[in-house]
Amino acid sequence: MRRTVLKSLLATAVMAATATMAGLPAAYAADKEIVIGGSIPMSGVFAFAGIGIHAGIQDYVRMVNDAGGVEGYRLRYVPEDSAYAVDQSVAAFKKITSQNKVNFYYGDSTAFSKTINPELERAGSMIMSGASFATELNDPEKFPFQFIAGPDYTQQFGILLRYIADEKPGARVAFVYSDTEFGRDPIASSREVAQSLGLEVAIEIMTPPGAVDVSTEMARLRRARADYTIFHGYILGPIPEFISQARQLRLDTQFMGTFWTMDNSTVMQMGELADGFMGVMPYSYYYDDSTSAPMLDKIREMRPEYQSVPYIQGFLSAMLYAETARRTIAAGQEMTAVNLKTALNSIENFDTGGLIGVPITISGNTIPVGRIYRADIQAKRMVPASDWIVLE
Amino acid sequence: MDFDWLFLVEIFLAGLGAGGLYALTALAFVLIYKATRVVNLAIGEMLMIGAYLCFGLATAMNLPMWLAIVVAVIASGMAGAVLERVAIRPMLGESPIAVFMVTVGLASILVGVVELVWTSEPRRLPEFMPNTPVMIGEAFVPPKVFYGFLVAAALIAVALTVFRFWRGGVALRATASDQQTAYSMGINVPRVFSLSWTVAAMIAAIAGVIVGAVGGISSTMGVFGLSVLVVVIVGGLDSVLGALVAGLFIGVVESLAGGYLGGEYKLLATFLILIVVLMVRPYGLFGTHEIERL
Repeated sequence: MRRTVLKSLLATAVMAATATMAGLPAAYAADKEIVIGGSIPMSGVFAFAGIGIHAGIQDYVRMVNDAGGVEGYRLRYVPEDSAYAVDQSVAAFKKITSQNKVNFYYGDSTAFSKTINPELERAGSMIMSGASFATELNDPEKFPFQFIAGPDYTQQFGILLRYIADEKPGARVAFVYSDTEFGRDPIASSREVAQSLGLEVAIEIMTPPGAVDVSTEMARLRRARADYTIFHGYILGPIPEFISQARQLRLDTQFMGTFWTMDNSTVMQMGELADGFMGVMPYSYYYDDSTSAPMLDKIREMRPEYQSVPYIQGFLSAMLYAETARRTIAAGQEMTAVNLKTALNSIENFDTGGLIGVPITISGNTIPVGRIYRADIQAKRMVPASDWIVLE
Repeated sequence: MDFDWLFLVEIFLAGLGAGGLYALTALAFVLIYKATRVVNLAIGEMLMIGAYLCFGLATAMNLPMWLAIVVAVIASGMAGAVLERVAIRPMLGESPIAVFMVTVGLASILVGVVELVWTSEPRRLPEFMPNTPVMIGEAFVPPKVFYGFLVAAALIAVALTVFRFWRGGVALRATASDQQTAYSMGINVPRVFSLSWTVAAMIAAIAGVIVGAVGGISSTMGVFGLSVLVVVIVGGLDSVLGALVAGLFIGVVESLAGGYLGGEYKLLATFLILIVVLMVRPYGLFGTHEIERL
C-alpha cells in the first residue's frame, strides 16, 4: 500500500512514546515482565482500525499495571507501525522479538498471520492473535500458537444464519462479497452451514475489488428474491449503494453485515440508508448498557467519548493475553508457546466483564460467540436484536 | 426458460453508465497526454482529491453541495496547475520513464495527504442527486448512474466543443501535434501545459465527485484510475475519440461479463480486451502510430 515513510515514522514515534508512558509505574523487577509485541496498522488503509486496537491494548495494559500487574509481573506493550503491509509487519516482528522477550504478539492481517506462522512455531516462545478473523486460522493443527479473539468469518456467518433460521425457517439468503481473500473466506463453508440449517442460498454475488457501480450486481440480486442479503469483505462501500438501489426498487430483503462493517461510525455513515441494517458483532458496543458490564464502565470512565469496536477487540485481546499469562504463572509453568496455548485453551466460562455478554470458553482457536444488532438511526446506535448466540 | 431481455437491457444500461465515468476520466488522462506527453498514473488520485475536497467543503465547512462541488472543482484545477508547475515542468526533457515515475510518486503523496487530513476511514459524500428511480421503458436505471452519465456526457460534449473552437483549445491541439512548430507560431507552450493539467484536474474532480457519490470515498478510490488506464490504452493514449469509445465499450463489456458470468470475470474480460488490443493495435484503437512506448 502506498504511504509516506514520514507518516509511518511519526506514527511509530508517537506509539513508542505513548506505550512507554503506559508502562510508567515500573515498580517491578525488569525480568518480571510479560511482553506484548504488536505489528499495528497505525497508518495506511487500515489505520482507522489500528488506532482503535492500539488504544485498546494500551488502556488494558495501563489498567492492569496500575492495579499491580499480573501475579507480580508487569505488562509491557511494544508496538510498531505496520502500515498494513506484510513486509513492514514482518520487519516490525523481527525488530520487536529480537530486542524483547516477547510472550504475546498482535498481528495486523491474515497475510501476516500466515507468513509469520513458521516463525512462531520455530520460536516456540509466544502466542499470537490479531486483527484477522480468517477461517483458515481456526485450525489448531496448522496454527498451533495462534488464536482469534472472536468468531472466525465462517462462524460470524453461522451466527447470522442461525438467527435467520430462527426468524424465518427456510428463508432465501443471498451472499454478496468482494473478490478478495477477505471476501471469499466464509462463502463456500457457509453454503453448507446454510443448507444444514434448512436455508436456501438464492445467489452468490462477487464484486471486483474497488468496484464503484453495482447496478449489474443489483440486477442479479433483485431477480434472486432473497429474504436476507449478507455482505462480507467490505468496510462501507459499495453497501450503501446496494441498499439505496434496493430501496428505490422496493426490494424486500433484510441487509446484514459482518464485523468490519459493523462499527457504529461505519454504519451511521450510511445515514438514512442504515435504518434497520443488521449484522453480527462479537463484542458489546461501547455504549451498550443492556447488561451489567463493569469492564465497559471502566472503559467509559477512562475514555468518555465513543470507542470503536476495534478498540474493544484490542482491549479484549490484551485481557486474554493477561489471563493466559496469569494461568501459566499460577500453575508454576514457564511461559513457552505450548504452555501459553494450553493455558489459553483452559479458559472456560470466563467473565470478560461484559465485553462479551456471556461467559466465554476457548476450546480451539476462536471464541464462537456473537450477537445480532440492528441500526437505530434515530438514536444513532446499534441496538441488540437477539441474545448472544454461542455456536457449538 | 425464456431469455430475460429486461435483464440484458438493464445491465447494458448499467454498463453505459459506468462507461460514461470511464470515458470522462479517460478524457482527463488523454488531455494531459496529448498536450504534455506525460503518462499520468496519478489520475485516479487526482479524482480522489477532487472528491475529498468536495467532501471537506460540504461537511467541515457546511457549504451547500452545489457550492462545494464548484469550489472543489476550481480548487482542483488550481492544484493541477501547481502540480504541473512544481512536479512536472522541471522534468521537461527528461526521459518519459522518469516523468512517469514522478506521477507514481505523486499518486503516493496524494494518498498520504488524504490519509493525513481525512484519515483512511471510508466515508460517504452527502446525497445530492435525485433519489427517484429512473425507468427507461421497463428497465430500472439507478438514478445516480443515470445522472452521472448525463453529467459525463454533457461535460465531454462541452470539452470537445471548447477544444475545437476556443483559442486555448486550438493551441492545445497545435502543441499536441507539433511542439516545435507551435513554439515558432508564437503559442505559449508552457501555458498550454499548465492549461491541460488545470482542465484535466477539474474534469477528474467532477468524475471524482460522481464516482464518490455512487461508490463512496476512501483513500483507495484511486484504483478507479487503473481501469481508466486500460480504457486509454485500448482507445489510444492520445485520442479523445478513443477515450470515449473505449470507455463506453469497456463499461458495457464489464457489465455483461459481471451479469452473465459473475463479478470475478469483470476484470478478466477487461484485461483480455487489453491484451488483444495490444497485440493487434499496440497504439490503441484510435491512437497515433508513433507512440513512444515505455
